[in-house]
Amino acid sequence: MADGQKSYLAPDLAASGSRYLIVAAAGAAGLAAGWFINHDQFFLSYLVGYVFWINMALGMLFLLMIQHLTGGAWGVLTRRVLESGARTLPALAVLFVPVIVGMHSLYEWTHADAVAADKILQHKAPYLNTTGFLTRAAVYFVVWGAVALLLAAWSRGQDLTGRPEFTHRMRTLSGPGVVMYGLTVTFMSTDWFMSLEPHWFSTMYPVLFVVGQGLAAFTLTIITVVWLSGRAPLAGVVTQKHLHDLGKLMLAFVLLWAYTNFSQFLITWSGNLREEVPWYLKRTQEGWLAVALILVIFHFALPFVLLLSRKVKQNARLLAGIAAVLLVMRAVDLFWFLRPAVPHGGGEGHHGLSLMTALSTVWIDLSALAAIGGLWMFLFMRGLSKRPLLPVNDPHFEEALAHGRH
Amino acid sequence: MEARVIHESLKPAPVIAPGHTFESVTEKINAVVLTKKFGFGWIVGLAIAFMLANLLLLSTAVILIGGVGGFGINAPVGWGFDIVNFVWWIGIGHAGTLISAILLLLNQSWRTSINRFAEAMTLFAVACAGLFPLIHMGRPYFFYWLLPYPNVIALWPQTRSPLVWDVFAVTTYATVSLMFWLVGLIPDIATLRDRTKSTVLKYVYGILSMGWRGSARHWHNYESAYLLLAGLATPLVVSVHTVVSFDFAVGIIPGWHSTIFPPYFVAGAIFSGFAMVLTLIIPVRAYYKMHDFITDRHLDNMAKVMLATGLIVFYGYANEVFYAWYSASKWEQYMMFGNRMQGPYMWFYWALILCNGLVPQILWSKKMRLNVYVLFIVSIIVNIGMWLERFIIVVTSLAQDFLPSSWGMYYPTVWDFGFFIGTIGFFLSLMFLFVRFVPMISVFEVRMLLPESKPKGAAAHE
Repeated sequence: MADGQKSYLAPDLAASGSRYLIVAAAGAAGLAAGWFINHDQFFLSYLVGYVFWINMALGMLFLLMIQHLTGGAWGVLTRRVLESGARTLPALAVLFVPVIVGMHSLYEWTHADAVAADKILQHKAPYLNTTGFLTRAAVYFVVWGAVALLLAAWSRGQDLTGRPEFTHRMRTLSGPGVVMYGLTVTFMSTDWFMSLEPHWFSTMYPVLFVVGQGLAAFTLTIITVVWLSGRAPLAGVVTQKHLHDLGKLMLAFVLLWAYTNFSQFLITWSGNLREEVPWYLKRTQEGWLAVALILVIFHFALPFVLLLSRKVKQNARLLAGIAAVLLVMRAVDLFWFLRPAVPHGGGEGHHGLSLMTALSTVWIDLSALAAIGGLWMFLFMRGLSKRPLLPVNDPHFEEALAHGRH
Repeated sequence: MEARVIHESLKPAPVIAPGHTFESVTEKINAVVLTKKFGFGWIVGLAIAFMLANLLLLSTAVILIGGVGGFGINAPVGWGFDIVNFVWWIGIGHAGTLISAILLLLNQSWRTSINRFAEAMTLFAVACAGLFPLIHMGRPYFFYWLLPYPNVIALWPQTRSPLVWDVFAVTTYATVSLMFWLVGLIPDIATLRDRTKSTVLKYVYGILSMGWRGSARHWHNYESAYLLLAGLATPLVVSVHTVVSFDFAVGIIPGWHSTIFPPYFVAGAIFSGFAMVLTLIIPVRAYYKMHDFITDRHLDNMAKVMLATGLIVFYGYANEVFYAWYSASKWEQYMMFGNRMQGPYMWFYWALILCNGLVPQILWSKKMRLNVYVLFIVSIIVNIGMWLERFIIVVTSLAQDFLPSSWGMYYPTVWDFGFFIGTIGFFLSLMFLFVRFVPMISVFEVRMLLPESKPKGAAAHE
């Protein structure tokens, strides 16, 4: 091809990625300590760390399919980031093993005596049982892994050959892929997280996960794109208009997050039913209200007000800064979602675990976040280093690069 | 840089047929308003629609004279056709706002040739929707009691009730939609003012165009005003139907009290709105031969939006079934498996699954999306399906709630039907008048799609 066409390869990213292995090692040491010091707490803390990163990978898979379906400049710019994140899903399947090991301590419905004494658990037993849980988890990982790897492989084919059939295949798979994604995330969120409190149910719950995943993926994608835009080979490629678009989409997800969470809250609060309202009681008493208010302010109000401004969205550093705040808030949100779920000693009384008790073991959660996250970031960066950072043979490529240049 | 060759199969279809110029676009669209004679089909269509609209007058008169007892509502089903039809109409309106506001913010240029039409549809649908709660009140002349105005009769609306939020949501929606539509019309009305030969119309269009002269300053202000209105209208796409869903979900009746209702209602509203746009635009396009501006690409895109929102709606049904079982609550389970699936209204439920769940799956095929006959039929089936959905939600849950001794059936009366069919006639009458007296496609925006409107050397992507 012509000389003007640069190679968008950045092999040096692998070296920066290796640094994350140190984080992973430190996290793993913390986790090992947690295992011995507080074995009871280990598994739920691990789950908090795990859900953060699987949400990230699934969110990237989701956005990847959405950009294949809708096209647009933002898709060209973020494609490689999203692919690289989605390709970590097979590794995350392996990292799921500790959750399986800890099933018995995490999920009340795995205890035969608890089920025998509880009519509701007996009713749910055809769904909430160990075999079903493991089979479904296997199905989820096969579906996610297959979609992620196929999309990545065809994208590579598009890169190398530029043949149109690869583009067609990616678009064709993404439609049913999104449907599969929606269904698997529904059951995944029920199996792994909703069933921590097996009496409770909410039809909005899976939607909260989809939205949280999409938002998490956007935050890290924006941080990565801003970071890459300051160095070779992407320096000068990313324009203010690109950032503006990404900022708009992140704002949309911030709003969606607030909208879905507030809707679930309002409906539960106004109904005030015995089987529903304990979920919020546990999360607004014993100190947890403070966490909820932090979420309202930093997960919604502040980013919302800031992202309304065009100037903020076009300012790379500010945009990445807001994305970083949101990324932290994703972890806080999941901590708030999951940690009050299992007060020690079981039961679903109104007075659950206190925030102070939870904070005394938060170091295990942070270790899990670091251990899984370090490994995840290492894989993510390695993925980025191996392929050109832009899909040069995408039909929207030139249009996307020209976006915002006149 | 050498231009990359994009494979034919990957190029998107054009949003405007090739070969048009500024002049030909203006001529072709405005001709319907300025020069064409009243067509036979148009006159017959308007006559039928207007006759149906008279049914609305008759039914309203009967209800105002005799009271809401003329409707089929009674204990336990106190919300019948009125609420079903209110939700149905207000949902239909959503496509207009989505097309005009959200697609504008997302830089989707294909929206330009259908936004005017869809916005008009929104306005008329909201007008129809508003009639139902108004008449359903029984004493519509006290409607202002819903507003928190200063008064000496110790009257204060219950602000915890979503019915009161509805008043604010719907009136805001109607106001913003009207402003958006009128502002969007100004440059085109000015063109009509300059081109019409009738002195009377010159004055009418002159007043409506608010002194538009098309100066650079006008355009500058216009663009920012339009963008601001789009920003204002965007949350309304979500908020109106969210509040409508709260009407149900904040109660504790099984089948109403479901946390997924807000997003699922919004998706359903967009689904039904796009179905209605297709139902209307396919015949209009054929009658006025607007294929150059409303291309297959438009129909294809609208069908895709319909498929996507339809899948969300279908997901909502499946989600409700699964969690009804998972809840282990006997009320939830009875509502789903006893009442909806096997109860007295089971045929409505299964017809709903057919109309909204199964039939739209045909739109996965591009061939089917490009077949106007298939698309037209699917759009009508979806309209029916979305009506059934509201019927299922409103009626089945009320007919059989917690206490079997208070169960009862709902039978709509002839005035329920008269009122409903009357609003359809009213709506269609307004649509007929609209396509004939206002340019149904935004002329100046379509002109901007032409290659000659692009600055020299710039990439054609805006």
